[in-house]
Order: sequence, then C-alpha cells, then structure tokens
Amino acid sequence: MSMKSESEALFVKQLKENQNIIHKICRLYTTDADAHKDLFQEITIQLWKAFPNFRGDSKFTTWAYRVGLNTAITLYRKKKRTIDTIEFDNTFHRVTQEDYNFEEEERLKLLYSAISELNDIEKALVFLYLEDKDYTEISETLGITEVNARVKMNRVKGKLKKILNP
Amino acid sequence: MDVLDLLKKDWKKKEHIFDQVSENEIYNMLHKRSSSIVKWILIISILEFVILNGLGFVISNKEIENFEKLHPYLNLIEKANYFILLGFIYLFYKNYKSISVMDSSKKLLQDIFKTRKTVNFYIYWNIFISCFLGTFGVIDGFNKGIGDGNGSHTEFSTVTYILIFGFSLLLVFGLIIGFYKLLYGILLHRLNKNYKELQKMDL
Repeated sequence: MSMKSESEALFVKQLKENQNIIHKICRLYTTDADAHKDLFQEITIQLWKAFPNFRGDSKFTTWAYRVGLNTAITLYRKKKRTIDTIEFDNTFHRVTQEDYNFEEEERLKLLYSAISELNDIEKALVFLYLEDKDYTEISETLGITEVNARVKMNRVKGKLKKILNP
Repeated sequence: MDVLDLLKKDWKKKEHIFDQVSENEIYNMLHKRSSSIVKWILIISILEFVILNGLGFVISNKEIENFEKLHPYLNLIEKANYFILLGFIYLFYKNYKSISVMDSSKKLLQDIFKTRKTVNFYIYWNIFISCFLGTFGVIDGFNKGIGDGNGSHTEFSTVTYILIFGFSLLLVFGLIIGFYKLLYGILLHRLNKNYKELQKMDL
C-alpha cells in the first residue's frame, strides 16, 4: 500500500467532518441507496481532483457546496435503474416516536415528494435555501444574477406552497 | 408556521440520519474511477480524432500515390491540413483545460459545450475536405472511364453519375449526423436541459 500523502490525509479529514453536505446533495438528487453511494463517490472524486486548486482562504464547506452541486447537476451520469419508492420514503421519513406529528408529517411527505419532482436547477435553489445560503452565494454558485435567483426562488416557493394549499 | 420554515426545520433535524462514511472508505473512493461526463467527452473526442486520422493508413498507399500524381496541388491542401490539425489539438486542449468544477454551474456548462464544439468543428472540417477530395475522385474515375474507352460509362450520363454520387454523399452524411445526434443526445441531454433552464432564468 502506498504512503498516504499529507494533503490526502488533510483532505480525507476535512471531507469526513463535512460529509453531511454531500449526503444532503445526494438525498436531493438521488432516489435510492445505491445511487446515493454512487453520487457520493463521484463528488468525492471531483473534490479530490479539484483539491490542489482549493485555496485555504475560502472555507472548505463553501467550496464543497459548489463542487458538489456542479457534480450533481453537470458531471454525474445517472445510471439507469428502477426506483425503489419504499426505500425512498424510508430515507426521507425516518422519525422518532416522540416528535411524531401526523399532520406535519403528511405535509412534509407532500413537500419532499414535490421537491423530488423539481428539475435539477430548482433543486439546487431549494438546497441552497435550506442550507441558509444568501442570494449572493446562490447567484455565484449557479452563475445567474442575484435578482433572477431571487425571482426564481420565489417562484419555486410559490409552487411548493400551492401543492400544500391547493 | 410557514411551510418552508417547517421544511427547513425538518431538513436540519434530519442531518443525523445519514450513515457516516469512515476515513478508510473515503481513502478508497479517492482511487476509484470517475464516471464524469467530461471524462466521457474526452475519451470520445480522442477516439474520433484517432479514427479520423487512422483512416488514412487503411486506404492503400498506391491509390493515394496515384491520386496525388493526378492532383499534385492536393498535396498543398494536405500540408495545410496538418496545421489545422495542430490548431485543433491546441484549441481542444485549451478548452478542455478551462473546464473547472469550481466555476459557477453556468460557466461550467458553457466550457463543456465549447470543448464539444471544437471537436464538432474538426469533424465538419473533415467532412468538407472529404467532400472536396471525393469530388476529385469521382471526376477522376469518370475521366479514366472515358480514357480507357471501354465504353462502360456510356450507359450512364454525367447527370446520372452526379446524382448517384450526390445521393451516396447524402446517405453517408445522414448516417454520420444521425449517429452524432444519437450519441450526444444521450450524453448531453441533461446538460442541455440544465443549461436551458439557467438561460431561461437570466432572460
């Protein structure tokens, strides 16, 4: 086995600490556990390939958001496979007994299934919104103007609200 | 509570549901092969390039020699083609290198399309050159037929020859274009869709 280089060790450590960012992207862009693993691996490879160009002065997480989303939207080639809806529902709705609220859970179920119907770009907007990113970062990540990011985000929000209150 | 606030709350709550990947698993992933679309584009482009340039070796040298003797000025075109080839390799390399996963999504998509276009340009150029040389070949064959005086050509008029030639050309290009549409349709379908979506937002 080859020696693990210093930068490799640093990368692995940082990725491990921040892996939930990637898991969350996989959750939005895939529908089953195999695809989740697949995309996770591809994002990891892309992050590692881009790591030499990663400058320490920006945050690892900010950088991971961008590379992760770009991989999900652009580079990742989906493998054809049948969607296991039962598995899909389980990953999204694993809840603990004590905070179970039937009405809320039903609404969330509707929301998550509505999100899974959105296109890749809309999903990216929702993801960045859920992650509390401001419009400057959203517009820079996607490469659109801040105003247009805002307009589109409002449209997506409206779409989701309408599904809940038809 | 706003529905989206409810969603946000739930989203944050569910952070802990993911099975955590260990350091060792990450190490292993680093040495796995990427299945990125950019890698596929690079492989296909290199294949196209090798096939196009390899064709010259398949055609027998004697025929090419004869052909060149008949049309010495075509040599010039061939030499010029080497420069075009070099220019193409340079452009392709430059565009390929500009693809960065750290750019914005829009810029990334644009750079991928630009790299693809370089290859398309090269393909079109080759089709054009083949047409050009092919036309000489047909005229050649036609003249040779007359020169041989075996009379076989008299069964067909010049118009018929041109029609047959034109039809064959159309057929071949139809096949090539069909193949490309299919190949890149499959490969770039999602990228095109996402790029259009981003463009639509910026209107």
